[in-house]
Amino acid sequence: MKQQYAYWIALAHIPSMKTARKNELIVRFFEEKQSIIDFFHCKKSDWQNLFSLNEKEIELLNGAKNELANYSFLVEDLLEQGYDIIPITSSDYSPVMKNNLKRAYSPPLIYTKGNKQIMKENSIAIVGSRKAENISLEFTDNIAKTASKDYKVVVSGFAKGVDKQALDSAIKYKGQSIIVLPQGITTFQSGFKKYYKQIIDGDVLILSTFFPKAPWSVQLAMARNPIIYGLAKEIYVAESSEKGGTWSGVVDGLRKGRNIFVRIPLSSEKNANTILIQKGAIPVDIQGHKIENYSLKEIKASVVNEQSSTFEDVDSKIIKLLSIGIFSSKEIIERLKIDWTTRKLTNHLKENKNIEVLNKKSPVKFTIKRKENIQQSLF
Amino acid sequence: MTRNEAEIKLKKIFGFDKFYDEQWEAIDMLLRGGRMLLIEKTGYGKSLCFQFPATQFDGIAVIFSPLIALMRDQVNSLNEKGIPAKHINSEQTHEENSQVIQDAINGKLKILYIAPERQENQEWIEATRKMNLSMIVIDEAHTISVWGHDFRPAFRRIINLVQLLPEKLPVLATTATATKRVQADIEQQISGNLTTIRGNLLRENFNLFVIETKSEDEKLLWLAENINKLPGTGLLYTGTRVNTEIYARWFDFVGINSTDYNAGLDGDTRKEIEKGLMNNKWKCVVSTNALGMGIDKPDIRFIIHTQIPASPIHYYQEIGRAGRDGQKTYIILFYNSKQDENGIAEDYKLPKAFIDGGRPGIKKYQKVINAVKQEQLGEKQLMKKTNMKQTQIRVIKADLIEQGIIKEVSKKYEYQFNAPELNAAKFDELRNAKLKDLDSMVDYVFTTEPRMKFLCEYLGDTLPSKFENCDNSRYKKRTVNPEKETIGKLIEFRGTYFPVLNVESTNSNIENGIASSYYGVSNVGTALHRCKYENGGDFPDFLLKLTLKAFRKTFGNKQLDLIVYVPPTSSGELVKKFAEKISYALKIPISHKLVKQRETQPQKVFQNAYLKRDNVSGAFNYTEPDEINNKSILLVDDIFDSGATIKEIGKLLTNFGAKIIVPLVIARTVGGDINFE
Repeated sequence: MKQQYAYWIALAHIPSMKTARKNELIVRFFEEKQSIIDFFHCKKSDWQNLFSLNEKEIELLNGAKNELANYSFLVEDLLEQGYDIIPITSSDYSPVMKNNLKRAYSPPLIYTKGNKQIMKENSIAIVGSRKAENISLEFTDNIAKTASKDYKVVVSGFAKGVDKQALDSAIKYKGQSIIVLPQGITTFQSGFKKYYKQIIDGDVLILSTFFPKAPWSVQLAMARNPIIYGLAKEIYVAESSEKGGTWSGVVDGLRKGRNIFVRIPLSSEKNANTILIQKGAIPVDIQGHKIENYSLKEIKASVVNEQSSTFEDVDSKIIKLLSIGIFSSKEIIERLKIDWTTRKLTNHLKENKNIEVLNKKSPVKFTIKRKENIQQSLF
Repeated sequence: MTRNEAEIKLKKIFGFDKFYDEQWEAIDMLLRGGRMLLIEKTGYGKSLCFQFPATQFDGIAVIFSPLIALMRDQVNSLNEKGIPAKHINSEQTHEENSQVIQDAINGKLKILYIAPERQENQEWIEATRKMNLSMIVIDEAHTISVWGHDFRPAFRRIINLVQLLPEKLPVLATTATATKRVQADIEQQISGNLTTIRGNLLRENFNLFVIETKSEDEKLLWLAENINKLPGTGLLYTGTRVNTEIYARWFDFVGINSTDYNAGLDGDTRKEIEKGLMNNKWKCVVSTNALGMGIDKPDIRFIIHTQIPASPIHYYQEIGRAGRDGQKTYIILFYNSKQDENGIAEDYKLPKAFIDGGRPGIKKYQKVINAVKQEQLGEKQLMKKTNMKQTQIRVIKADLIEQGIIKEVSKKYEYQFNAPELNAAKFDELRNAKLKDLDSMVDYVFTTEPRMKFLCEYLGDTLPSKFENCDNSRYKKRTVNPEKETIGKLIEFRGTYFPVLNVESTNSNIENGIASSYYGVSNVGTALHRCKYENGGDFPDFLLKLTLKAFRKTFGNKQLDLIVYVPPTSSGELVKKFAEKISYALKIPISHKLVKQRETQPQKVFQNAYLKRDNVSGAFNYTEPDEINNKSILLVDDIFDSGATIKEIGKLLTNFGAKIIVPLVIARTVGGDINFE
C-alpha cells in the first residue's frame, strides 16, 4: 500500500490536468480493480483504449512517471515527520468531502497531521470575513461553542477574523477542529508548534490539499476555500460581503442545495448576509438558532438594489437550455436574451461543474454534463 | 543486453574479461529493473554488480553505505576508470557536499555514495527531488536488520525509502555476512519481489587460533613476544577505546611499531592512519572495530582480537577484512577465562555489559515520553529535561521512533497522536537474542570442531568436506609462557603509564593534564571510593606516590609557581589535604583562595555534559585575583570525569591572567564509571 503514495503524489499534482479528469481516471482504474501502480505501468495502448487518454495526457503522465523515484524520497520524508498521505480511494478519506465536492472537485489526495478520525465526525464550517465585526466574532464563538458541545467538528481555514475565532473557540470549548491550510503541509511549522498539544491529544487535524512544500499564496488561499466547504456538513456564515471567497463559496453551496445558515445582520450592518438569505440561505440569530418565520420583506429596505440577472438566474435558464442541445455562448445570449458579453458568459460556463465544455476552439460549445458518467462506487 | 555484449563493455570500462555467473545473474536482474539481495563473501566482487549497471543506466545510482573509508576507496578507483562518481559524507565540508549534490542534480554523476544518516538532511531530501535516479543500492545490508550485527537506526529510513520506491526501479542490497535469520529479515523488509543470491562464505586462507588466558596481563605478554613473529602487517582489535590507548602505549614500550585508532579521533587523523595502514607503515594498528570495515587492503595478514566480539557473525565480519588476496592469514582471538567469585569469566563481562547497558531502563523511556508529551523538544533540551546521557537519549529516541511513539521533525521530537504504548517485550526479545549470540561466541572459543566449520554453520552456509586450518585441526594450540624479562617490563610499564586529560581549548590557557591512573583499571578507583564515600580517611600514600610519579614524568621540567586545588562539594577536606602533601613534596607554594561562590551539586549526579557544565558555570571565584597574574599554576583534583569543573576553573584563572594551568588528578574515569544508574 505504502508503495502507492509516490504514485498518488505524481498523479495528484500533474499540472494542467483538471481534478475532474484525474478523478475520472481514478474511478476508471478503481472500477477495473486495478491499483494506481498498475495504472501507471499500463501499456500505452491500454492508456489509449481503456482510459481514453489523448497524446497530451500521455505526455503528462509520462512526465509524472519519470518523477516517481523522486517522489518516493519525498514520501519517506513526509511519513518520517508524521504526516498522513490519504488518497481518495482510502477509507480514511473524508466521506463528507467526497459527498459535497463529488468527482469534479474532490482533491485526489490530501495530506494531514493529527487525528484522521475527525474527518468522519459531523462537521460544521464557520465562514466569514478576515476583517469581521465584533458581532460576527461573537456569533462565531457561539456557534463553535454549540458545535463543540454537540461533538461536531469545526472546520476553518486559518485566516484572520472569523476563521481564527472559529478555531480558537473550538479549542477553548474543548471541541475538535480541522485546520485547512492555504499552503503545503510542511510549511506550517509554527502552527504545529502552536497547536502541538491539541494535535497529539487528537483534537486538531491539520489538512492540506496542495503540494507539501508549496508556500502560502493568494491563489492557494482561494483554492482552499472550496475544501473548507467540502469538509463541512453544515455551513454557518458570520459575515459575507458581496464578493470574495465567502460569497462565492456560499452562492455555490446554495446552488448545490447545501444547508447554509446565515446570521441575520443588524440593520446598521453593511454586508451581504441579507442577500444570501434571500437567495435561500437559512436565517439564524446570534446563537445560531433558526428563525422560522423570518420575513424577507422586513429587510428589503436595507438591501441595495440588485441586478436582475444574477449568476443563479442565468445558470438555471442555461441549464434548461443546454439540457436540450449544444450551444455556443453567443447562441445562448441570443436565445435567452442575457445582458452579458459572450466572453463573460464563456468564462462563467467553463467554471460550472454541471456544464461540459465540448470543444476548446472558438466558438466554444457547451452542453449539460451527463449524469450517468458519475460512478457511484467511489463517490 | 546479452552477457556477451555486457562483457565487451565490462572489458572496455573496467578491464575485466568475464563476470562470475552469480555476478551476471545479479546484473541481468538489475538491468531489467528487479530487486536483488546479494550475499557474497568479502573480496568476491559485489561492488561490480552495481557499478557496472550504473554505468549503463541513464541517470544516477545512489549507494547508501555506512563506511566512509569504503566510499573513498571506491570513488577513487571509479574515477581512475573515468566513471564520474563522488561521495557525500561527514568528512567533507558542507561546501564540498553541496557541490556534490549540485553535480548530482546537474546529471554530472553516474554513481553517488552517501551515508544513510544523510537521509535526515533536508538539503539532501530537497536535492533528491531533482535528480534523475537510476538505481538504489544498500551496501552492508545486514545493518538494516535488528537481528544483524551493527544495526544502525539511520538505516531504518533507508528501508522505509526502499519500500516506497516505484516498481521497475532497480534495487540492490549487498552483504558479506548474513545468517539465515538476517537474510529472511532483509528479504521481508525490502519486499517487492526480491531475489536472493547466496554465495559460499568459506574463507580457506584463514588460520584460526584461540588463545585462552587467565588475565589481561597474559594477553599483553603474549603479544609483546609474538606479534613481530607474525608475517606482514595487521590489525589488533580491543573491546574499548581506552584499551586501544593502553595496548598502543604498551607496544611502544616494548618496541613494537604500532599506532592506535578509534572513532573518537578527528577525520584528518583517521584518514592519515588509514593511509599509513595501506602503506604498511606499522606492524599493527590497534583499534576498536571502527577501523577496517570497507578498507580495500588486500593483504591484511593478521587480525587479533583481545576481546570476544558480540557474536560469531560479528567475528566473521571483522576477520573478513583480512586476507582478501587469498594468501595465508592469521586470525587470533584471546579469551580471558578466569572466573570471578560468581563463576563469570572475565572476558564475558564486557560484551555482557554492552548488552545490559545497551538499553536504558523502562522508567527512562517513560521519562522521555512524558517530556515529549508536554512539548516539542530537541536532543539537548531533552537531555536537560531528563538528566540523561546523550547516548541513552539516542537509544531511547531510536526505539521510540521505531515503535511509532515519537517522530523527529526538524530536529525536534514530537509525540504522535494515537501513539501505541511502549512495547518493552520487544526489548527483552532482542536482549535474549543477543545473549544467545554472545553465548555462541563463547562456544566458538571452546569448540573442538574445526573453527571455520563452526563459523560457516553459524552463518547457514553450505559446507564443503574438509577444514584443516585451525588449532582444532592441523595446528597446535598456542599458550602463554612469557619470559621473565617480559614480565618485568610489564610491571615497569604499569608503573609509568599515565592517562592524559584532554582539556585544551583556544580560549583558555589550560593545558592537557595528567592522571595517575584510570579509575576502573586498577586498585586506584577502589581506594578513592573508600575514602570519598565510605569514610575511609585520607587518600592513602600509594596514591600520592603514583600521582607524584605521573607529575614528574609529564611536567617534571615545568616551572610552576602555585598549587591551586578544587574546593570540595561534599567530600570535605580530602582534596585540600592531598594538595598540601603534593605542595610539600614538590616544594611549590599552595593557595587556599580558590573558593565556591555558590552551591553546586556533585558532578556525578548529572548524566550529561550540558548539565555538568551548567552545574559549575560561574560557580568559582579566586579571592585575590592579583596573585594569579602571570603565574604558572598546578591545578589539583581527585577525579576527572567530564572535565567540566577543571575547564571552568581554567577559564577563571585565565581571566585573572594565569600564564599556564596544568591539571593533575588521581584518576580519570572511563565512560561513566562512577555514575549512579
